This record gives sequence, structure tokens and C-alpha cells, in this order.
Amino acid sequence: MIGTISYLVFFATTASILAIAVLGLNLQWGNTGLFNGGVVAFFGAGAYGTLILGGTPQDGHLGGYGLFYPLALLGGMIAAGLMAWVVGLLTLRLRHDYLAIATFGVAVAFENLMRNAEWLAGGAKGVRGFERPLRDALGDGFLYNIAFFFTVLIILIAVYLFLERLVASPFGRLLRAIREDEEAAASLGKTPSRIRLTAFITGSVILGLAGGLYGTFYAFVSPQDVLPTLTFQIWAMLIVGGAGNNRGAVFGAFLIWGAWTASGWALSRFAPIEAQLYTGSMQFVLIGVVIVGMLMWRPQGLLPERLVVSQRGSKE
Amino acid sequence: MNMTLQRHLVRGIGAVFGLMVIAGAAHAQECTTKIGTVLPTSVDWGRPIAETAQFAVDQVNAAGGAAGCTIEMVLRDTQVDPKVGVDAAKALVDLEGVKVLLGAVSSGVSMPILTSVTVPGGVMQMSCCSSSTAFTNLAEEGKTEGLWFRTFATTAVQSAMGAKVAQDKGYGSVAILYKNDDWGQDMARLIAADFEAVGVAVTASVAINDGQPSYRAEVTEALGTQPDALYLALYPAEGTAAVREWISLGGTQKMILANSLKSDEFRENVGLQYLGETVGTDTASPRSESADAFRTAYVERFESEPNGPGLGNSYDATMIALLAMEAAGKDATGADIAAAVSKVTDPNGTAVTADTAGFTKAKDILAGGGTVMYQGATGNVRFDANGDVSAPAVIWAFTESGTEEVEYLSLEDVDSFIASLN
Repeated sequence: MIGTISYLVFFATTASILAIAVLGLNLQWGNTGLFNGGVVAFFGAGAYGTLILGGTPQDGHLGGYGLFYPLALLGGMIAAGLMAWVVGLLTLRLRHDYLAIATFGVAVAFENLMRNAEWLAGGAKGVRGFERPLRDALGDGFLYNIAFFFTVLIILIAVYLFLERLVASPFGRLLRAIREDEEAAASLGKTPSRIRLTAFITGSVILGLAGGLYGTFYAFVSPQDVLPTLTFQIWAMLIVGGAGNNRGAVFGAFLIWGAWTASGWALSRFAPIEAQLYTGSMQFVLIGVVIVGMLMWRPQGLLPERLVVSQRGSKE
Repeated sequence: MNMTLQRHLVRGIGAVFGLMVIAGAAHAQECTTKIGTVLPTSVDWGRPIAETAQFAVDQVNAAGGAAGCTIEMVLRDTQVDPKVGVDAAKALVDLEGVKVLLGAVSSGVSMPILTSVTVPGGVMQMSCCSSSTAFTNLAEEGKTEGLWFRTFATTAVQSAMGAKVAQDKGYGSVAILYKNDDWGQDMARLIAADFEAVGVAVTASVAINDGQPSYRAEVTEALGTQPDALYLALYPAEGTAAVREWISLGGTQKMILANSLKSDEFRENVGLQYLGETVGTDTASPRSESADAFRTAYVERFESEPNGPGLGNSYDATMIALLAMEAAGKDATGADIAAAVSKVTDPNGTAVTADTAGFTKAKDILAGGGTVMYQGATGNVRFDANGDVSAPAVIWAFTESGTEEVEYLSLEDVDSFIASLN
């Protein structure tokens, strides 16, 4: 019993961290229509930034500043934001698929940089030696995981509330206006390029926050954590959950991550021994089928975007 | 008269044996102990590693299981994705209650499993194939709590043997192509230092990224430096592609291969006629019956030679883990099992072979309070304080049907050669 709870807490922590990332992407794609194909670069910047700033000294690469944890996490978010600012200035004039290709390239470049620049972040070996905050007080076991889960949950709720308010505000309306018709928005005196950049950076900072929490949870990050698979997973969560709907984003994260892990568990438990070796491949097929099915029969997602009326016309 | 007596004796022994088997089976049916395995089974070279682990489990079950129970191996796929691997490991520890976790392959997956699942959970983790030097550092800092082991001995041994080959063949200069991951980067750094130590110049050291359609640019870079020979620390798929381009551009056939290229796939896809002057290095089986036993049993089971990265290592990791479970007894914790590893890899212990008979023998000795020396598929595995292993080495070449040994170096030879490099 305690085992099941312990696992569920662990699962929910990972899912919540991913949900924060999906919320960040939702601001970019769901609300502003920016096709960020390089999700993992900003997630990774947050993770690397947090661990390098908050970790213990390591031979041969940057890091070991041992910063107070919230500052390290903030540093990771700033790293993601700075990268988004530079990338945004260079690429945000691109539209849709061109933007997707450019940002995907950024993500691949980021992974290669981390893999090869040993002086920066340990190369393929990754960054380790990070002490999880409050570990001395809470130990290493179940209690720690519970405490960490609630911290992540509170952050998730805070991000959710922040984005809900943002979307309902005039700024949120502006984002949707730009998404639907940029020229119409410009004709009303708005500067779409600036607004797009603001939304891109804000979303990326949230992705960086998720990355920082992810790095903290594992106390380790390596180039293997920033492969394009993660971008694909986070996109799948948003599409299945419902782009443009924050609740859908969170729901999609839990659902897809749940399906991803539960299918592996179920196959290992119920598939016959001879088939065990092929469960990994079967899992890919199952997940692929779910996503293709979603796109064919319910492209708006399980919780579609709701119509937001931010200012009602007066009845006369 | 004599004959009858003999027949009686045989019959008697047969009956006793039969009873023992029945008793063993009946005993084993009473309980099942689960061990967890997290391996990248959705990757081509990951599946045989998992098959080999299951093979070892089957042999132990044929000997009546470990610590009085039948062993059930619960296998989970990592998809070479750290998140997925860590989640699978956590599920195995929490939901299946395993005390022993085998895996993973990639260091980038094994490391977060170690730091966030097995060490906090007090579970012993034994990897067949993770090679990163980061584990040694972590263990030196005392952060693995003695729960971490790996049977992958090859990085330091491998690079030293590569240098020995270059020295023996009299190559003056060598270019290096390496897989661009933690293992490859470690290999490239170590081998460059070792080449330098034996006076062989390194003309170029070029990283090979996975999954590229062509490696012409990388190969040309290495070729341009006109080395006497080429050193390859690559896996079969990329190795094949790179060597084909190397040969087709007029590169030398004098190649030195790491054990990751000791594969039938590589030999067939490149073509034996281009590998005439090529030799490889590997950690070796000991000169004992156990190595032959493993080989014979493997061929019988899978109808092919155990050629492929990590197979012997996976087998040994599984066997040692199960021997340690046997030595630690019933209801042992992960830490107990980890502590018992030294009892089954004791250089002063009784030698046991790597098969069902060896496991049965080990059971008797351990029950009597003795210690055993496991002689496995990769040698007389002996862990140091950091959970790392050293091993004898072999230098090999390709043949029509597989590989043949060119030279064998005992553990002492290997250690003294490595010492001479420093």
C-alpha cells in the first residue's frame, strides 16, 4: 500500500512538472499561435541553469556555485528567458512551420552544444553533484518526495492561475487577436512583433521553470534529457489535452504521461513472457495510435478552447 | 555382479537426483521473488542484452531459484529516455517491491535512476553497460552508499589494450573515430592518453554522431591527417557506415576496434575482405570451464555466438546479483544483498562456473558458510570499492564464422601493462 502511494506521488511529481511545461507551450501555441518546435531547448536551459548555479563544484566544467536554491531556480528561468529573447529576436518574424523548423534547429543545436562543450556542462557525462534542497532536514525517502510533490503542485497551481488571469485580461485578448489575424491587430495600433516576443519569452521562462524542477527532482541532467523526444511528448500532451485551454494542457500532461507509464507497466505485467522483449516497441505503437486517433477524430483536444468574452457589449 | 551393483548405484543416484529436483521444484513453487530490469528493449542492441539477462534467470531457476524462491524478472523498457527509465525503475521498486535492479545501459539513464530511485530506496543497482566515469566519482564521494555495481570493465582496460595493439604492430600514428556519447568521449580521451604513453601520435580525434546518413565529412577529416592506422570506438550501425566510407575513400585497412564492434552485423556489412588487417580488443573470458560453459549454453539457446555489445556483461550482472541474493538469504534488504556481493566474488573463494551447475554448487558452499569466486562470461569479476571491475583482456580478429583470439592477457598482464602506461 505504502509502495503504491509512494509510486503515485513520484508519478504525480513528474506529471506536474511536465504539466508546467505544457502550460508554457500553451501560452505560446494555444494562445499566441507561435509554433515552438524547440521546447526542449528552453526546458534544458532551465535544468542546466539550475543545476550549474545550485550544484557543488565539479572538475572540468562550470558550476558549483552552490547558490541558495530559489535563486538557482530563478537563474535557470532567467537562462531560459535570455535564450528565448535571443532566439525570439532572430526567428519570430518567421511564420508557422518556418518558425517550427528554426526553433527545432535551436533545440538540436542546444543538445549538441551540451554534448560537446565539456568545459560548459560536462559534455555527454552531464551535470551531477547537485544536492537537493532541504535533503538534510527531510532525508532521502518518502517524506522528501511528498514534500517535493507539494512544492511542485503549488508551483503548478500558481502558474495555472497566473496564465488564467493573463488569458482573461486585455493582454490575453491581444494575444488571440494576433493569433487570428496579425494585420487586423496591427491596424488597431498594436505592435504584434513586440507582443509575440513577450509571449514567447514568458512561455519559455515557464518551460525553464519546469526544466529547473525536473533537474532538481533527478539531481542530474545530461544531454540525454534534452533529446527531441521531449518536445514531441510535450506537444502530444497539449494536442490531446486541448490547445488554448489551460485546464486541457494540465489534463493532457497527466493523461499522456499516465498512458505512457501505465502502458509500460501493464505490458510488463500482463504480456506473456515471450512477448516481454517486444513490449518497448509495442508501447511506441500504442502511443502513436492514440495520438493519430486524437488528431483524426478530435483535433481540438479533449478540453477544447473555450470562447472567452472579456467585455460584453451593453444591451440597448 | 559388479555390473548390477553399478546399475543399482546409478539408479539410486538417479532417484536421489530426481527427488532433489522434485523437492527443489516444490520448494521453489512456494514463493516467487521479483527482480527488476530496466533496459532499452525498444532499441536493436538492447533486446539481446535483456534476453541474456532472462537466460541467466532461467538457469538459476533451473537450479531451484535463489534464496529459496523462484526468480521472476520483471522487464521494463527505458526507451533510452531518462524520464521513462526512472519512472519504470520507481514502479519496479514501489509497486513490485524489487530489492535488486538490473540496468540501465545508457549512463544518462542509469545515473538519475541511481540518484533518485535506488539510493533513496535502498535498492541494489547493477548495470551491465553503463561506462561513464561519473559513477566512479559519485562512489568516491560516498553517494552510492555501496549499492552501485557495474560489470562493464572495459573503458580503461579497452583503451590500454588498444594502445598495446598499436605499439605491438608498430604503428607510428593513429586517427580516432569515437561515438559522441559519454562512453565514446571517455574512450577517446583515455585512448589518446594511452597512445601518447606508448609513443604513438594521434593525428585526429573525430566525434561520430548517431544516425547520420553519411559520415563523409568526419572520415575525410581523419583521412586528411594520413595516419598509419585507425582506431574505432563506435557501435555497429555507425561503425559500419563510417568504415565503408573510410575504405571507399582509400583509407587503410589497419584498424583497431573497441569491443562494441565485435559483432557479426559489422563484419557482414563491411565485408571480411576489408577487415584483413583489423584487430579488436575486448575484456576476456577466463581460461576456465565456465567461459566455455557460457558460450556453449548461449549457442544452444540462441543458435548464435554471444557476439554483441554487453551480452557477457549482462549475463554476469544478472548472475552475480542472484548469487548475492542467495548469499544474503531470504527477505534480505537491498543493502544486505549489496554487501553480499563480496562473498560471491571473493578471489579466495571456491571457483564456481557460470551455469546451473555452478549456481547449485555455489548454493551449497554459501549454505555452509563459505565464499565463492564467480567465474563469468567476462572473467573472474571482482569489484573494487567503487563498484567498478577490472578484467583479463583478449585481442581478436574477424574470421569467416565470427571472431578468433589473437592474444590473451591475464588480469596480471593487463594490470601491469596499465601500470606501465602511467
